[in-house]
Order: sequence, then C-alpha cells, then structure tokens
Amino acid sequence: MSLQQLNSTGFEEIIYDNCEPCLVIFSKKECHVCKEVVPMLEELKPQYDGKFGFYYVDVEEDKELFQRFSLKGVPQILFFNNGEYQGKLAGKVEEESVEEKIAEVLGV
Amino acid sequence: MANSYDLIIIGGGPAGLSAAIYGGRAKLKTLVINKGTIGGLADTTREIVNYPGYIQVSGPDLMKDFKKHAEHFNVEFLKEEVVSVDFSQEEKIIRTKKGKELSAKAVILACGSEPRILNIPGEKTLRGSGVAYCATCDAEFFEGEDVVVVGSGDQAIEEGMYITKFARKVTVIVLHDEGVLDCNKVSAERAFNNEKMEFIWNSTIEAVLGEENVEGVKIKNLKTGGSSELTCQGVFFFVGMIPSTHFLKDSGLETDTRGYIPVNEGMETNLEGIYAVGDNRVKYLRQVVSAAGDGATAAVVAERYIEELNYFNSNIIQSDKKILLLFFNVLVNESLEFSTLLEGLISENGDEYKIFKVDMATKKSLAGKYQIEKVPAVVVLDKGEEVKRLDCSMDKEQLKSQLS
Ligand SMILES: Cc1cc2nc3c(=O)[nH]c(=O)nc-3n(C[C@H](O)[C@H](O)[C@H](O)COP(=O)(O)OP(=O)(O)OC[C@H]3O[C@@H](n4cnc5c(N)ncnc54)[C@H](O)[C@@H]3O)c2cc1C
Repeated sequence: MSLQQLNSTGFEEIIYDNCEPCLVIFSKKECHVCKEVVPMLEELKPQYDGKFGFYYVDVEEDKELFQRFSLKGVPQILFFNNGEYQGKLAGKVEEESVEEKIAEVLGV
Repeated sequence: MANSYDLIIIGGGPAGLSAAIYGGRAKLKTLVINKGTIGGLADTTREIVNYPGYIQVSGPDLMKDFKKHAEHFNVEFLKEEVVSVDFSQEEKIIRTKKGKELSAKAVILACGSEPRILNIPGEKTLRGSGVAYCATCDAEFFEGEDVVVVGSGDQAIEEGMYITKFARKVTVIVLHDEGVLDCNKVSAERAFNNEKMEFIWNSTIEAVLGEENVEGVKIKNLKTGGSSELTCQGVFFFVGMIPSTHFLKDSGLETDTRGYIPVNEGMETNLEGIYAVGDNRVKYLRQVVSAAGDGATAAVVAERYIEELNYFNSNIIQSDKKILLLFFNVLVNESLEFSTLLEGLISENGDEYKIFKVDMATKKSLAGKYQIEKVPAVVVLDKGEEVKRLDCSMDKEQLKSQLS
C-alpha cells in the first residue's frame, strides 16, 4: 500500500492543520471496486509528488470519519484544499476523472 | 518477442483461471489479462457452497487457490484492461488501456459480466450517495435505515437478506404478481419469513429521488399505471447482468443481441483461434463450476489449434518442396473432384510439389489470409511465399502445363 493511511488524528492534521491540497480515498478490504480504484490512485500518485497529497482511510477501522462525511458506500474519493471540502467522486471512477478533478482543485 | 504469447486469456475469473491452468500445464506460453481483482465475480461472493470438494468456502479464498494453481504452471498475469483487439490476422493483437500491445496465437475470452444499469434519473448522480450495486461493499453504511432493493432474482433476494443485518427495513420492488419471485425456492421462503423484508408487487422503479443523498424512490405500478413515492436512504440495484463484451464490438466476433458470445462444443467462436468461456458466452448455467469446465475445454481445443498452426508454419513455410495449398469445401462437389484430379496428377508426376489440403469450413483464417472466396482454389507457395495461383481446370493436361 503506497498510499498513506490516515486515522482521525492524522486526518485532522493533514486536512485542517496543514491545509494541504489532497485527496482521500475511503475504502475497505472486502470491496472489489475499491480493489480496482486504489491501485489506480497508487499509480497516479508519483506524478503529483509534492503537489497533491494522496491518502487512504479504511472505513472499517475509522467509522467516525465516514460518518462525519455521511458517506453511503465505498469507494469514494474526497478532495480537499485549504482545509475545505472540494467535492467527491464515487464508485468505479476512471483515472481521467481523477486527473480532471485534481486540476480543478488546484485551479490549473 | 516479449509481448507475444501462445495463449492470451482476457479475464481472470474462474473461467479464465481454469483455462490458464490447462494452458500452463500444456506448456503453452500463457498470459492472463485481468483488469480488476483476480477471481472476478466469484471474488465478490461471500460464500460458495456448491463448488465440488469445498463444502463451504469464501469466494476470495477459492479464487486464491485457482490463481495459485495457475501460477504453479508458470502462467503470467497482467493487471490491465483490454480496450481493443484485432482478430483479423493469424497473429491476434490485443491492446490495453495503457497502450500496451500484445499478441497471441490463440485468445480465450473470459470477461464475465457486469451489473446492468437502468439509466433512470438519479441512478448515476446519486451513486455512492445511497445508490449501490454491491451489498458486501456497502450494506453496513445503511445501519438502522430504510433500503430499497430492485429486482427479485437470486442475487437480489440473497443480497437483500444480507442487507437486513444492518438496515431497519428492506423493501423489494418486484415486477411480478404477489408471491412470485425470480429467485430459487429456498431463498424465496427465507425472504418471506424475514421480518425485515417487505415486498411491493407488480412494480418497477422510475427514479431515485434526492439532492445530495438518496431520499426516496419513485415507484410505478405496472397494473394500475400509477406512481407513488417511498422514502428510503439507500437503493440497491440487482436488475441482472450484461456481458462485458462491448470492447469486442468491431472485431468481427459474433454475439447475440444481448452481447453474449455463441460458441460450439469446443468453445470455438465464429473466428478461428478465438474461444469464449464462462459467463460471457451463451449458456444455460452461470456458476463457478461450469465456468471452470468451459475454461478447461477451451484451453485443450486452443492447444490443438496452436499445434496445427505450428505444424503449418514449420512444415509448409519451411518446406523444401513447393506447396500447393488446395482449398476445398465438402459441400462443393466440384472442389472435391478437382482435389482428386490434382492429387492424382501430383502422385504421378514426381517430387517438385507437395499438396496441403485446407478445409474452408474449419481453416477460416487461412482462407482469409489468402483471400479465398471460391473453391476449388490453389495457391502455390515456395518457402512460404506465394508464387502463383492455379487456374483450377478439370482438364488434366491444362492443369499439368501450369505445374511445369
Ligand atoms: C452475488 C453473487 C453470488 C454468486 N454465488 C455463486 C455461488 O454460490 N456458486 C457459484 O458457483 N457461482 C456463484 N455466482 C456466479 C459466479 O460468480 C459466476 O458464474 C462466475 O464468477 C463466472 O466466472 P467468469 O470467469 O465467467 O466471469 P467473472 O467471474 O465475471 O470474471 C471476469 C473477469 O474478467 C475481467 N474483465 C472483464 N472485461 C475485461 C477487459 N476488457 N479487460 C480485462 N479484464 C476484463 C473482470 O474484471 C473479471 O475479473 C455468484 C455471482 C454473484 C454475483
């Protein structure tokens, strides 16, 4: 797993304290769609090194986090910038949609 | 060439993995291309109780065993999605989404199927916000809430019952008259006895309602034509599967109107060297055990085909004598008579030529390669290169003069 996993504390720090532009995939082990989307993000990550963060939350280990965003399913990719929620992509998303969304969040 | 294989299998579910085991065992250079997790649909199945030798096993565990078995026979794996193919030549070309190009002598299609999308308002926009297709993945997000299940097949009813472990209530929307479900009897009985399961009969779903999250569904009664709304927080769609064969559309491969691939007993499609196995072919029973059986059959037939191909390439292309490729069709009498004449002539007149008979009915790719449309036809090859074609005259002298 090359995406850094976040628990609630880590989540607070990265998103709200550091205000880093990043995405967080909410995922779980027993979900076949997640197993397609997570590797796609892992491959994408190096291209954005230093520019955009890629993180991972396991919803079974951190129930509180998905309840906070009232998520209704996995996988979901949530986007953040300057400590603000910037929208999400749900289900089996393609690489291109993630790239587009990142560009939108970074305002490029 | 690094990217060229004897056998490429598209799809790594039970059908593809079984074909891989047989292909690897037969010492074919075999590659499985699979876009998702290995194991396909079976990998999403919590519990399998009808695969011989396993009284009860989880889908992922069983599929791990299948994969290990294939690896044991040196099968290679590639995690990619195939987006286009070119099956028109003897060397089959496969292209992946990331732009990789691979080739194989034979290809087995084991792409399985995917959930059908109804394309009703709200279904797409609320996906992941209450609209779901996989109970194992998403049921727990509906703890204490009201959930609607659309469909009444095995999957709908069994998954619906699984959701009752979390949800307060599960309402199943059924097309049929009261009491009629499409699923097996045991599941139907269990569902009727489950206090958390309710049913709405003679109905279908028209729209998923809600802005940010699912807030309800719009239900249409097929008998009265009237519409009504039902409040819920989640909708699970189990309205059947469609074969994952769309990327094959322009390949010349035959499919039925729904996209399933028809095959013969040997899993052969209408294209030579291309086979279809498992859930993506026209068949009666779509289960792991039948998928495995298909895979085994196709790999054995493909092995024979590859052997013949290799034979052709080493004996015909590299032959010292000139080769007369004689195309015939048992249904065309003239071609059979001509064949007898030519064979007689060659056996009387020495050593320069060797005849290789090609049955148009089975060797379609050879016929395609030399663009033969009418039989009889004869192509003369020297070291594999075409040097001329014969005028297939029934006049022995005329024929003989062409060969001197
Ligand atoms: C909920 C549920 C419960 C079930 N329970 C049982 C049971 O108890 N017992 C039983 O025997 N059967 C059961 N089945 C049926 C069984 O899972 C299927 O019959 C079986 O998995 C079919 O195998 P397959 O190899 O043909 O296809 P699949 O398992 O669907 O595998 C196809 C694979 O091909 C890949 N693929 C598709 N297109 C491409 C492409 N273009 N490029 C690369 N890869 C591609 C897919 O990602 C997938 O991994 C169940 C099915 C479901 C949905």
